[in-house]
This record gives sequence, C-alpha cells and structure tokens, in this order.
Amino acid sequence: MKYNYVEKAIQVTRREFVALIGIAAAILWSGAYAVTDVVQDRNKYIKMRTMGLYKDDEKSTIRQSHHNKSLMDMYAKLAGKPLSPMAEELFHTTYIDRTKLA
Amino acid sequence: MAQFDDQAVVLKHGLGTRVFHWGLVLGFLPTASTGIALWLRPFSGAGMHTVMQIHIIGAWVLSLACIYFFLFQYKRVVSFWREIFTWTKNDVEWMKVQGGYPQKIFLGKIVPVPAMRKMNSGQKMLGIIVFFGVILIAVSGWILYAALPAVPKEIAFYADKMHLILGLFITFCVVFGHIILGIYNWKEFVCMFGDGTMQVSEAAHHNALWVNEDIEVVKKG
Repeated sequence: MKYNYVEKAIQVTRREFVALIGIAAAILWSGAYAVTDVVQDRNKYIKMRTMGLYKDDEKSTIRQSHHNKSLMDMYAKLAGKPLSPMAEELFHTTYIDRTKLA
Repeated sequence: MAQFDDQAVVLKHGLGTRVFHWGLVLGFLPTASTGIALWLRPFSGAGMHTVMQIHIIGAWVLSLACIYFFLFQYKRVVSFWREIFTWTKNDVEWMKVQGGYPQKIFLGKIVPVPAMRKMNSGQKMLGIIVFFGVILIAVSGWILYAALPAVPKEIAFYADKMHLILGLFITFCVVFGHIILGIYNWKEFVCMFGDGTMQVSEAAHHNALWVNEDIEVVKKG
C-alpha cells in the first residue's frame, strides 16, 4: 500500500552515536574480560588438580581393588564376597524420579 | 492543526521496526509461556526437557532480534530512548485519566485525553519497563545458560531469582496490558503486523502531536 506521509528523519548527533557505541563496547568488553578471567582461573585449578591426581597414581603401589587388603577384609568379615546378595543390598541403589518432588 | 486529505496515509512503523516486533513476538511469547512452565513444573522428565528446549530457542530468537535492532536500526533505538524519557505535563494528565481507556471500556464514557506524540504515556511506561527488563532478563538468562559453571554461586542464585521475578512481571505487563490494548486498538494492530501504514486521520486521533509536528510529505524521486 502506498503512503503519502512518513516520519521526519531522526537526527542522531555524532556525540550520541559515539556514546551509544562506547556504552555497547564497554558492556561487551567488560563481560568478555570477566568471563575470560574466571574461565582461565578455573582451568588453572582443574589442571593443578589433574597433575596432583597423576602424581598420586604414580606413587600408589596398590592399583586394583582386588589387591586392596582392607577391602578384602571387609568382604570376608561383612559382605561375604564381591557380588554377594549382601554386597548388592548394601552397595547399590535404585532410580527414583525426582523431577517432581511431592 | 494541519489539514490532511481524508484518504492520506502515513507510514507509522517502518520495515525494520516491524521485523523487530515480529522477533519480539516469536521470541518472547514462547519463552514467557515455557518460562512459567519451568517455574511451576507441571510436567515430568521428558516433558520438562522439551519445555526447556523451546525456552532456549525462544530466548535465542529474542536475543538475536535485539542485537539486530541495536546494530542495524540504532536510530530507532535513539528515537525510542528519547520518546520514553520525555515526560511533560500532558503525560501527567494522561496518566490521571489512564488514557480514557477504563472509562470507555467499563463505563462506555468518553473523557477528554491530552494530545500525545508517537507513544502515549502508558506506552512510555511499558517502554521503560521492557527496555531495562529485557536487557536484565537476557543478561541473567545468558549467565544461567552459558556461564553457570564459571560464575560464583551467589551470582548464579541472584541471576536465577532476577530472571524469574522480572520474567513474571514483564509477562504480566505484556499479556494483560500490551497485547489486550493492542488488540483493542485494532487499527494500530493491523498497522504493526501489516505494512506499517495507517490513515492520517486515525493516527491523528491517538497521536495528534506526532501527526502535526513529526511527519512530512514523502519526497518524490
């Protein structure tokens, strides 16, 4: 549909335009800097923890659970043997739908 | 008052504005309705998962629409900003009679209403709420969506609370204010969702100052 009238053109001064761009840039840069800073720090601690775990692995002498004397003692005195009915009852759980808590 | 031809037509909402408005409609409404479902949790497991997927898609559409409008229609942003923060005695008088809408709708009475520019005082009020509200909802939503493992838990907690409270408030204002009044003013509805034009005489009824002072004849050529 043709029209006869339009709104007069909006005049944006150079000062307003620069202010708008400046505010947008400040928000974007601050956000990017803050997120980068936090993510880098978080990665630093994750890497430190990973190196610590690898060192612990290198130092440990017992590497399989069936070589763990305390664990074997526990099975002998309490749960019978691995995969026994008592062991299943003590060490397993069932799934409960917790999407809607009553 | 300037004289206009009875058949004169004015372009009230340009293409950029209408595209942005469609972006708001298609982005905000699914996001708002799924947001309420995420708050009340009426479904279980897979249903809530689907609700969240729709919420995320709607939020992406809303975010992209806002970025498009700010980047490519910045003059309209400046015009909107100027309009919503220009309050005169006319606006105070308009607010006192609530634009004459309650009297007309509930009592069938027509009361005198001060002349308005392109946005009436109620629209300016909603404009302020929506401008800052949607920015805060978008920022808190993006924190919850993309940055949750990276932010301190206090930020996550308050982002979640702000997102819910502001979301509910703006949904209430839009659904029970903006949409109802938009449909009530049917010619304006058709203008925004159609080709952006309306009769000058119709525009002069609701936006007399805008018609008299802010529009001009289309330049030929």
